Amino acid sequence: MKTTDMEQGIGSNATVVTEIAPAKLTLAQVRAKLDGTRGKRFWKNLDELADEPGFHAMLAEEFPRLAGAEPNEWVDAVSRRGFMKVMGASFALAGLAGCTKQPDEPIFPYVKAPEDLILGKPMYFATAFPFPTGAIPVLVKSDAFRPIKVDGNPDHPMAKGKSDALTQATLLDLYDPDRSTRPLYRGQPADWAEFQEAFAKAAKASSGGQGIYFLSETITSPTLAAQWKQVQAKYPSAKLVQWDAVNQDSSRAASKAAFGSYMDAQYKLENADVILSLDADFLGGIAHPGFLPLAAAYSARHRYVEGQTMNRMYVVETMATVTGFKAEHRLALKPSDLEAFAQQLARVMASPSIPNVGRAEGSVVRTAEAVIFANALIKDLKAAAGRCVVVPGEQAPASVHAAAYALNAALGNVGKTVIYTETVNPLPSEQNADFASLVGDINAGKVQWLVMLGVNPLYSAPADLEFQAAFDKVPNTVHLGSHVDETGVLSVWHINKTHYLESWSDARAYDGTISIIQPMIAPMYGGHSAHEVLQSLLDNPEASAFDVVQENAKTYIKGDFATAWRKALHDGWVEGTAFTASSASPKGGASQAPAASSAAPAGMYEISFRPDPSLYDGRYANVGWLQELPKQITNLSWDNAAMMSLATMESLGLAQSDAVEIEVNGRKLVAPALMVPGQADGAVTVHVGLGRRVEAGRVAAGAGFNAYYLRPSGAPSYAAGKLTRTGGTYDICVTKVDTIEHRGAFAQQDLNDKIFDKEGTYSLPGHEAMERAIIRYATLAEVTKNPNFAHENDGDVPGALINKVGYAPEGETPAHGESFFPDAWRYDRKDVSSGTIQNKWGMAIDLNSCIGCNACVVSCYAENNIPVVGREQVKIGRNMQWLRIDTYFEGDLHAPRAHFQPMACQHCENAGCEQVCPVGATVHSPEGLNVMVYNRCVGTRYCSNNCVYKVRRFNFLLYSDYDTESLKFMRNPDVTVRSRGVMEKCSYCIQRIEAAKIDADKQNRPIRDGEIVTACQQACPASAITFGNTNDPNSAVSKQKATERDYQVLADLNFRPRTTYTAGVINPNPELA
Amino acid sequence: MAQVFDRSSNALARASLVLTGLLVIALGVTLDQLQRSPWVTRQGQRADQPIPFSHKHHVEGLGLQCQYCHTTVEVSSYAGIPPTKTCMNCHAEIWTNAPMLQPVRDSWATGQSIQWIKVHDLPDFVYFNHSVHVNKGIGCATCHGRVDEMPLMYMENSLQMEWCLDCHRNPAKNLRPTSEIYNMAWQGPTRGQPVYCAPTGKGGATAQSTECITRQPPSGPEIAFTQEPSLGESGTRLEPRSELKEGGNAGQTVPMIPISAPYQKFSTQMDLGRYLTAQYHIRPPNELTSCETCHR
Repeated sequence: MKTTDMEQGIGSNATVVTEIAPAKLTLAQVRAKLDGTRGKRFWKNLDELADEPGFHAMLAEEFPRLAGAEPNEWVDAVSRRGFMKVMGASFALAGLAGCTKQPDEPIFPYVKAPEDLILGKPMYFATAFPFPTGAIPVLVKSDAFRPIKVDGNPDHPMAKGKSDALTQATLLDLYDPDRSTRPLYRGQPADWAEFQEAFAKAAKASSGGQGIYFLSETITSPTLAAQWKQVQAKYPSAKLVQWDAVNQDSSRAASKAAFGSYMDAQYKLENADVILSLDADFLGGIAHPGFLPLAAAYSARHRYVEGQTMNRMYVVETMATVTGFKAEHRLALKPSDLEAFAQQLARVMASPSIPNVGRAEGSVVRTAEAVIFANALIKDLKAAAGRCVVVPGEQAPASVHAAAYALNAALGNVGKTVIYTETVNPLPSEQNADFASLVGDINAGKVQWLVMLGVNPLYSAPADLEFQAAFDKVPNTVHLGSHVDETGVLSVWHINKTHYLESWSDARAYDGTISIIQPMIAPMYGGHSAHEVLQSLLDNPEASAFDVVQENAKTYIKGDFATAWRKALHDGWVEGTAFTASSASPKGGASQAPAASSAAPAGMYEISFRPDPSLYDGRYANVGWLQELPKQITNLSWDNAAMMSLATMESLGLAQSDAVEIEVNGRKLVAPALMVPGQADGAVTVHVGLGRRVEAGRVAAGAGFNAYYLRPSGAPSYAAGKLTRTGGTYDICVTKVDTIEHRGAFAQQDLNDKIFDKEGTYSLPGHEAMERAIIRYATLAEVTKNPNFAHENDGDVPGALINKVGYAPEGETPAHGESFFPDAWRYDRKDVSSGTIQNKWGMAIDLNSCIGCNACVVSCYAENNIPVVGREQVKIGRNMQWLRIDTYFEGDLHAPRAHFQPMACQHCENAGCEQVCPVGATVHSPEGLNVMVYNRCVGTRYCSNNCVYKVRRFNFLLYSDYDTESLKFMRNPDVTVRSRGVMEKCSYCIQRIEAAKIDADKQNRPIRDGEIVTACQQACPASAITFGNTNDPNSAVSKQKATERDYQVLADLNFRPRTTYTAGVINPNPELA
Repeated sequence: MAQVFDRSSNALARASLVLTGLLVIALGVTLDQLQRSPWVTRQGQRADQPIPFSHKHHVEGLGLQCQYCHTTVEVSSYAGIPPTKTCMNCHAEIWTNAPMLQPVRDSWATGQSIQWIKVHDLPDFVYFNHSVHVNKGIGCATCHGRVDEMPLMYMENSLQMEWCLDCHRNPAKNLRPTSEIYNMAWQGPTRGQPVYCAPTGKGGATAQSTECITRQPPSGPEIAFTQEPSLGESGTRLEPRSELKEGGNAGQTVPMIPISAPYQKFSTQMDLGRYLTAQYHIRPPNELTSCETCHR
């Protein structure tokens, strides 16, 4: 890495333990690879396709570079040899470990025990996670008043108990050890009271608040808005600018133009048979407003159920997203084409005289492929008028939103599948313009006090506004933030901000319902909220956030206040506050749409800026769970990249992982190139939210590059840029190696048809995903013809090789042979006294519903105290997630289809791991669970070697953080700590199973269906995961498993996995098939 | 040059070989025994507590019930250590100046916890749940010994895994009627002091399913009918817990049929234990000894 930005980006992490040669292959090679295959061919990443010697070398060891550990293998900076010396004495005594006495443990009982507290039993409280796109109502699990898990509020009409990756991860955000602990004045510890006094005095001295500017994050709190109105009344000249780097300006501008006032759109996907997404990643996470209800409704309508019309989704987008890959039909267009496409679609729909889109007459729909797509889409939408919906992406330009308004109006969807309401934000504004004018005011010397509430503009401001220079001109800067971050460290005042789990507030959700945000824990470091900062200027500055929230709640809580307030706190939402549909209809058609931005000139590429799918706009960059979380589609972890199609790569002479210089308006930055299947040619997507500086914290510092540096203030969505190859390479961190194992050619036992590539190392998921039918799906037409497609080799399904002779002569799920142990694999023991049949736990995952959003993975992190291992360790395949989402691509690189498959321990009845463990550390429970006994594990890793699903995770080092005080509060006390040298894996949330068993046993009853909910199941916004007792024919899981589409992955191996998958069904448009 | 070793060295060498072997064995045995010894387990040791609290005085002498202090034993995994407030309920009135109780008053005044030392300290990877044990017929004294006779608290049993498994493999030998959980002096039935038990016919929690008495039931052991009126005509078969019914919620148990349940007479612990195992639906040994029962 030569350039400064890149060095800044990866400097601290530049020590790379291993150098896995990245794949270098050309488009021609890939085509050749794919052409040589028959039928459906699945692949997981480019390296696998490339199949190069370097890749084989990496695969030769399951955990690469295990033996030749380099000096910094021991991340605690003690070299391995030094470590052996230091620990020599301990090793000698290791044999006596069993004899060591436990130290005396003290007990600290309460002096006065709180009422209702039962130690050892968790309590649950409702609150809400405020987020710019609308609050997420949550139910927080609290152990002795420490929040230990954040889940969706099941009583909330919108959340219905579901959550997402960011919401789950706010728990770690609360306990982040890098949080700011005290107010600072010019870097020195200061007092809140001093600030209050100084600020109030300055305001009083000013003429009506002249020179006092608030720069706030997007407000969703009605109370904060009310407080601002009071401030405004008292200081009419004070100004409030709301600004987030990732905002909803496009929709604001478009709604202002169409309605005359700012409006939000709510989509009712439950009523939509046909969905068109114009760059909207509404299944990707809460970055899209209304993710939870949209994902729930989409997946409910996408289930293949008798008597229900399956929905069909079309997605037009630039970068591959999970929404795009869930779509039946996806068209990749670069941003400028996408804008033009949306407008043309609106024009066609508006005028009956134009029946379809043609290639001629200056049409922007250039390729034959796009024309066919557009015409089929138009026909389908028209046929489903009133039962279809067009969803524009929040980050797409305003013209796309305008086109969507026009399309929905022309199709008669308004009031049916889409309603327009007032905005979730009580003070809607166009943030980028406001921010630019704020910078103008600063430069004009108008700003005396700049009070920044929860924003970090020195990191995320568009570089062309030169915010840093402007910032230095403000005499008094105040930063209210959870961290002493890039902005906090340079501000005159820094006030440590309370986390939402520590403070009182309120917020509106997507559907408009107001939730009271109540604290779960006393502020860990004191801290203050935006309510208190605004209150400093008002008449009663000592009023607490609780006082102001409760006072303001009287405006929206109806009925007897004391009762209704308690009910609102208990339920987590205020009844009767949901928005109702506005009668306003958008004016005009596509003609009134703002002009499309022009395409990039020749030789330039369109650089598209998107919030990071895991980290959003960067505010969660210091949350280790999210940094390490493999990003949707790309599986990038701890990194971002210049994501482009292989054709773009080819045209630039680049190979995967080559460093490439991106230049936008004269600003240059070096980024690693990453091929993303399905990316539009000529467009490069970069994720903002990484590249935080060292102030951001121990996790965020130095991961990735800061794409805000390139993002122009005038065109936050995309801009033209130049790409140049620099010649260097960058070792991108992608989680992949753990899922691939070394298999010799001898393992390819195909008796009928010898496998095509006999050389090298095979990976089962990669090379044989199709042959082994790891992913099974059919189209609606196929499934109607043969409902049992998942188990029968239908000649019409090309390439389906289910029950193929050769892999297992007995076919799938072979019967058990003679056993010495007649009771083996029998789970039908009856309780002698009650006659009840025992429990037999199992899980079913509906691949039709799974949207690949990663909520389950983060939920698993929180529930099972899974450690974060860091970038170097992830690179060598040591990431510890118990659950991963495998993305299988299928077909051509240019327009692939993708399938998501959550993969965790399958709890095989005839488990391979158990048979090879020399110490009996992994054994079978009478209820059929595959359990790990950490104390017995000696770390041979044989079990992982023998696991075909590659779901076991080994603690190569002491990953669990025993020392950081704040993190101790966060741990789930019901899960055992895992130390170095111990294997771990998914336990089906055994702690939840045991808790339910104890409860049921005490009441002398069987466990009810649905009483045990695994952490992943609980989080899943698409309800794709079902868990329960498969011995009960009426349980949800039994019913799911009884469907014909239910199949086991690698069933022919006779491992008899307890987790089974429901084969997907897609509903493609026959015209496009 | 003279021989360095004469012939006797051979015997010595052989002897040393044998001795080494014996030493190794001895070391093994020693370590094995050491592991189980009170030195490691702290069985029977009285910890140096801030207040020499006497269970004997409070339980035997004053007759306090266990749950007066250990309030959550029936509902939670923790039995609960009483807050200072519990002590002060009485000691604000009596022994208000006793120097022995100074730490209690200090705690009350300062708001700082009394820092006890844990006597029954399981390793952190063991998930023990008090509530399921006391609800399923394991008395306090079964594990904690005669606490009412302990002037200073100590651990009666080793609480090592082999000790836990000893009971989990055969819970019948320790099961007692749920009415006798807090009875420190419970000895189990004997020929001279038999126990009479009968199903109550009530559904719900374990404690409601069976009634046990120590005096002879009114009409003799075999023909006693002490049940309340029948809830219905449906059958007279003893069916304490339903099988999973099709269509219905699996959790809904059919109410146990209040039939003419005769009291049965038990004069040995094993007989009673076996009966209660069935009545209380104690899980079979293979489930009780499965790893995940205690380790998660």
